[in-house]
Amino acid sequence: MKKLIAIVLCLLMVVAAVACKKTETKTAGKVFNIYAWNEEFKGFFEKYYTVPEGVTVNWIINPSDGGVYQQKLDEALLNQANAAADDKVDMFLAEADYIGKYVNSDATMGIDKIGFKNADTMYKYTIQAATDDNGVCKGVSFQCCPSALIYRRSIAKDVLGTDDPDEVQSKLDSWEKFEAVAADAKAKGYYMTASFAETFRTFSNNCTMPWVDANKTLQFDPMIEAWIAQTEKFIDNGYTLDCGIWDDEKNQQMFADGKTMCFFGPAWYFNFCMGNAQDPEKGCSGDWAICEGPMAHFWGGTWLLAANGSDNTDMLKDIFETFTVNEDVCSKLVENEKQFPNNTKVVDKFANDPNYGSKFLGGQNDILAFSKLTGNIKWENHTNYDQIQILNESLQSCLQEYFKKSVDKDTALATFYQKINETYPDIVTP
Amino acid sequence: MSLDNRPSGRRKSVSYAKWGYIFILPFFLVYFIFTLIPQVLTVYNSFFTNYMDGLTHIGPDFVGLKNYVELFTPNKQGVILILKYAGNTMILWFLGAIPQFAIALLLAVFFTSYRLNIKGQGFFKTVIYMPNLIMASAFSMLFFTLFSKVGPVNQLLQQTGLADKTIDFFVSKVTVRGLIALMNFLMWFGNTTIVLMAGIMGIDQTLFEAATIDGANAVKVFFRVTMPLLMPIFVYCLITALIGGIQMFDVPQVLTNRLGMPNRTSFTLVMYLNNYLSTSKNYGMSGAISVIIFLITGVLGGIVYKFLSAQYKEPVEQPRRVRKGARK
Repeated sequence: MKKLIAIVLCLLMVVAAVACKKTETKTAGKVFNIYAWNEEFKGFFEKYYTVPEGVTVNWIINPSDGGVYQQKLDEALLNQANAAADDKVDMFLAEADYIGKYVNSDATMGIDKIGFKNADTMYKYTIQAATDDNGVCKGVSFQCCPSALIYRRSIAKDVLGTDDPDEVQSKLDSWEKFEAVAADAKAKGYYMTASFAETFRTFSNNCTMPWVDANKTLQFDPMIEAWIAQTEKFIDNGYTLDCGIWDDEKNQQMFADGKTMCFFGPAWYFNFCMGNAQDPEKGCSGDWAICEGPMAHFWGGTWLLAANGSDNTDMLKDIFETFTVNEDVCSKLVENEKQFPNNTKVVDKFANDPNYGSKFLGGQNDILAFSKLTGNIKWENHTNYDQIQILNESLQSCLQEYFKKSVDKDTALATFYQKINETYPDIVTP
Repeated sequence: MSLDNRPSGRRKSVSYAKWGYIFILPFFLVYFIFTLIPQVLTVYNSFFTNYMDGLTHIGPDFVGLKNYVELFTPNKQGVILILKYAGNTMILWFLGAIPQFAIALLLAVFFTSYRLNIKGQGFFKTVIYMPNLIMASAFSMLFFTLFSKVGPVNQLLQQTGLADKTIDFFVSKVTVRGLIALMNFLMWFGNTTIVLMAGIMGIDQTLFEAATIDGANAVKVFFRVTMPLLMPIFVYCLITALIGGIQMFDVPQVLTNRLGMPNRTSFTLVMYLNNYLSTSKNYGMSGAISVIIFLITGVLGGIVYKFLSAQYKEPVEQPRRVRKGARK
């Protein structure tokens, strides 16, 4: 009797297992897998893109912190050929810091293969970034990311005597002026920036050589050295805080009672990362404005890449079109999401609209301000050896110990080299 | 007898031993597939160069002991990093284990004492075990937030006037190591208490009574009766805690945001391994580190066992001495 029960149970399990398989195979090609590192694009996707009937969109989200996103994505992409149709990656998101790694690999496919053509309305650098060495474009970006100096109007009035973007810009258009103002701000009890790494991007995006040369030897660009020198001065003089760019301590400075005048970032930064400033109770929405700042730069940007092996090419094409060419959607991205879209036509429309203004920026037309900065973006000095994210991140975290005075500079750099040796066996460090 | 009379062709006796083997088979199968094979493969991999460079796979190329040589080569500052991290790991474990065992022993003795007869034991046992139920990473995240520069601990210290300015707990090795030890202690002392209590309850109560009647005080009873008889369980606890300690990873990893700051003084062996493994999938180097961790665990476990178990074997030897005396 017991044997009989055991056999019946076993059979049931087998039947159940087989049944599961069957339902899976029935929906083959009907699952659209998207890899991303946060919920930003997911939000836009769910609002503005109508998923074809019968297709399930599956989001696989891993944080980019510590390279986790790339790790998980790489595993999936390397397994792409063996994965079942439903488990294949169809589309994945990539950031400026490491897009080259994927564009110059077989993991991505040319947009011509899915029947998509880049439009004239896209910003040139967004196309360059997604194009491999052979000139094949592998994806699109839905945003353009010129980065600006985001300042508190009230503090600027106190320190500079004005909060008008043009006047503020004229007082902060070089690093010398920036430093001089930092001293004034300090004298009035303010911080110039809220993180030791706040200005890192402005320097690193103006580097003239990549992190790693053709022989895979690590090299320090003079711009990185300049950033270290400036940060040493800022920390010593108390112009900035010693916390990281994503730390709570910095984010608290965005509240109304914060004492920090300047932040640096593109449209996505103040829309997606400055939640504290927009807090209805403790925030200070409207007390902000943007100007170019001491040095033109860009930061980040999200590209949508077509994964090689995707079985939903029509849908890919459709998504690419929706978020780049579709003027209706691009306009909504501006109006509702405060994005800076990758569509010059829509940008011009808003830049020339006297009635358009950002509430958060006290009525300033951010699209107009950013559109003036787009010409400065150059996609240069990017190598295929694209490990910028981890190198940038590690440099900052190792030097933070030096800025906090818990180790000397050489020790901090030695730890940085050690971390590289552990993470990238191929890179030769000093 | 009746079995013998049965017709030939049928079994003469029923062998129950085979059922024993069948019942332990699942464990051995699972052990073989999920533990033994990976262990052997780890050793095997440690002799190869085998990693990912972006999306390109490098290797596997046989390199002999190169990975081990690399691990034990001093860096430019003259430090052999793996030894430094092994030292860190042991210090972190010791700092947490000493209070863990001291408090656990004390509580176990209190809870099992027939003279104290503490009420509401179930409640206390549950409460002290609680921290172990929280995921270590969540617990570390909690501590990270509590002790951050803008966290509640700093606010409390400033409001009560105990500190006049913000304290950064993560710049000094004393505070970082202290926090890690504190967390490990909080998470594990309950577990140890319960196991040790079970051990003490296994001891014959009459021995305690006899000792008390003979005039031994509580301290004497503890060192002369409880400890020697508890030794097998105590050694078991210590060795399992030691193994866990050498594999310490999640608490320092999350608390220090992977850095083991300051200057990698709270960086453990498994964090070191993880740095090789996570991005570049460096099976060669991480395999070599794993083998070294395995060897360290084996040697330390052996030492602890040897030292402590020598003590509790004594009672067995005593009768022999008596016999010797009798012969004289």
